[in-house]
Amino acid sequence: MGKATALLQSDDGIAEEDVLRANLYRLLAHVLRDAPQQADLDMFAAMGGDQTPIGEAVGALARIASSTRPETVEREYHNLFIGLGRGELVPYGSYYLTGFLNEKPLARLRSDMSRLGIERRAEVREPEDHIAAECEMMAGLILGDFGEAASLAEQRDFFKAHLAPWARHFFTDLEGARSSVFYAGVGRLGSAFMRVEDEAFAML
Amino acid sequence: MSEKRDGTDNARRDFLKLAGLTAVTGGALAATGESAEACAAHEKAQTSYKESEHVKTYYKLARF
Repeated sequence: MGKATALLQSDDGIAEEDVLRANLYRLLAHVLRDAPQQADLDMFAAMGGDQTPIGEAVGALARIASSTRPETVEREYHNLFIGLGRGELVPYGSYYLTGFLNEKPLARLRSDMSRLGIERRAEVREPEDHIAAECEMMAGLILGDFGEAASLAEQRDFFKAHLAPWARHFFTDLEGARSSVFYAGVGRLGSAFMRVEDEAFAML
Repeated sequence: MSEKRDGTDNARRDFLKLAGLTAVTGGALAATGESAEACAAHEKAQTSYKESEHVKTYYKLARF
């Protein structure tokens, strides 16, 4: 978390818009996997918003990030996703769609992952339908982390099958959750992005 | 990526531009250049991954 590494480059013939999509997916995954550290908060705070749907959400998140401290957001993350027994939200597709973990949505995801050449790292034991994992997979498909970059049609099919059924609902819940402050901004950004993705894929 | 350059896709790209993805540019590009944290391609060497608190919650929910 929080370490600044090499810039992503728009090489390999991947269009700029798609690199930006991958980055936003990765950014969401980053803060949904673990609470942000100071360097992450500084990064968000430095972002400038604009009047676009995503830009407005980015501007709001930047304002929140500038007044958020790592200890506070760590506690917020804990209350949202971990809690005593469980957090306020359970960020797994299967749970969202069926009310139970490890149900058919996870099985379908695993089947598609296998087909696309994606696998969970050996040390990771949580199920693959965690929201952060699904966002990471979208980023990886766009950038070709799992082999060749996926075509837009393949990206659309994966999105439709695994994120569209629940991700926007999740982000909306995150935006409105009792414990959310920083994560209300994350939820708003995620929700705006999911809507954009949905509309953009519909244009294919 | 073969279908990426036709007219339909231009419309999609224009739409994405207007949606404001560029607002996320600088900072996000710098901080998230790391590869996916929990997923990997088959057959690639794996780096370490910190066991997450999600796992504990997951086991509780799954009643393991």
